[in-house]
Amino acid sequence: MKKYIPLFLLVFLASASITLAQSNDISPSRKQAIDSLALEKVKDLSKYITIIGSKETQFSEANRVMDRAEELFAPDAEMGVSSINRKEIAYYKVRRYFERLMALNYDRVNITWYDIHYISDLERQPDGRYVGVVTVYQRFEGTSLESGLNYRDTTKKDITIYVEKKQTQIAGRTIEFWDVMLGDIRVTETSA
Amino acid sequence: MRKLTVLLLLIITSIQLAPGQGLYSPGSPQDDGRFAASTKQVNQFFRRFNGEESADGKKRYYDTDAQFRDRELRGKFISVLFDNETSSVENSLKSEFLKDVLSENLPQYLNFHKGEWFAEVQTTFIFKGKKEEVTLFMKLQPEGLGYEWVVDKINFKPFKNLFNKPEGDAKGFLHPLSHEIGFMNLRKAFQENDKPESYTPKEYQPDYLTIFLYEMKNGNLKFDNISDVKFHFFQINNWYFELNQFNRPGFNTGWLISNLVKLDAGDKDVVQKYIYDQK
Repeated sequence: MKKYIPLFLLVFLASASITLAQSNDISPSRKQAIDSLALEKVKDLSKYITIIGSKETQFSEANRVMDRAEELFAPDAEMGVSSINRKEIAYYKVRRYFERLMALNYDRVNITWYDIHYISDLERQPDGRYVGVVTVYQRFEGTSLESGLNYRDTTKKDITIYVEKKQTQIAGRTIEFWDVMLGDIRVTETSA
Repeated sequence: MRKLTVLLLLIITSIQLAPGQGLYSPGSPQDDGRFAASTKQVNQFFRRFNGEESADGKKRYYDTDAQFRDRELRGKFISVLFDNETSSVENSLKSEFLKDVLSENLPQYLNFHKGEWFAEVQTTFIFKGKKEEVTLFMKLQPEGLGYEWVVDKINFKPFKNLFNKPEGDAKGFLHPLSHEIGFMNLRKAFQENDKPESYTPKEYQPDYLTIFLYEMKNGNLKFDNISDVKFHFFQINNWYFELNQFNRPGFNTGWLISNLVKLDAGDKDVVQKYIYDQK
């Protein structure tokens, strides 16, 4: 949480230039600040996934990282996974997805992330929260030493983000800030 | 000494925080341009169609930017927003479309909230123990403080086969003096005829969505999965196009126009009826 404070402040300062009571529209400058915060969370998720998937990660450490990763998500978030040969979506709760990733039967796993992302506009949903989608690409390489088989795929991850205005008390003053939580993630295997 | 402690703490913290494995870590695989070129979200299709992002996709243009909705930029974007590998949209038709959309006097843009576009979602449901395909037509509507997608219509073969109103001599009827006999002939109509729809007005249209919801609430229909999603756009005056997702190698990928039709007067209704296929 502490590491997000500078970004919260950035989002707060970006919003401070606009009269708060004026409207709930998100200005381009505030949107940019929210995008940065969302991207930070996605970067954390990517880092956690890499650690959870790695065979060098101890079981206890992987569990600790899974706890941290789960904290990024809104309750009930799901992963919906499909492949090129199987268009149907396999649904997993986030924790289950991580557990499956940890238990993959390879001797070596290397998960890396392409240097590209796309962040959608933010749309307001009926309850007043904003929702957006961040797209990133992940490369997975798994090696089985016994069979010498190498499995490799590239998946597109479309990550829902929920953006909500929250309040906190700092030194007796009420400060408003925008918070970002991750939601459902659609995982699609690409032909790349 | 205090400075040294802070420095040490900083070094230790940075070791924990930078394992170099996440997004934008050193050593991340580099996109060779394919992912950048791909229209990754429907949202990006809107932006590119309207000329609201930079050519490299790194900057979102707002109405305060000089390049916002730049005509030349839009022209370049729209010409690569077509599926150029599998769809057979004539080049002359594309040019005509571009001319209309990029008109100097009356350029046309896509608007997320303006309606006149909807999603077609192919799903599977378990109906009476059997996996069946159901097409859901979804539309965006204002609700509460924002917007939501709702199911507007459905298409489900088992329902459609239920309502085949016979024609001509095969169609039963209640004779015009039935009222004089207190409609006692309803017994024959409903007990001895398995086509009760015969006794409905000419304009009667079964409401498949209501039946669908009824069956779901009764536990006879259970959601199974989603197999495909596409979009239909009627927002551009006198044009219809279909948006599909193309997941394949190369640079012409993502959400692309796969079908383009120029609409004459009355064509819009015909195309919509064809898509919804409610009869």
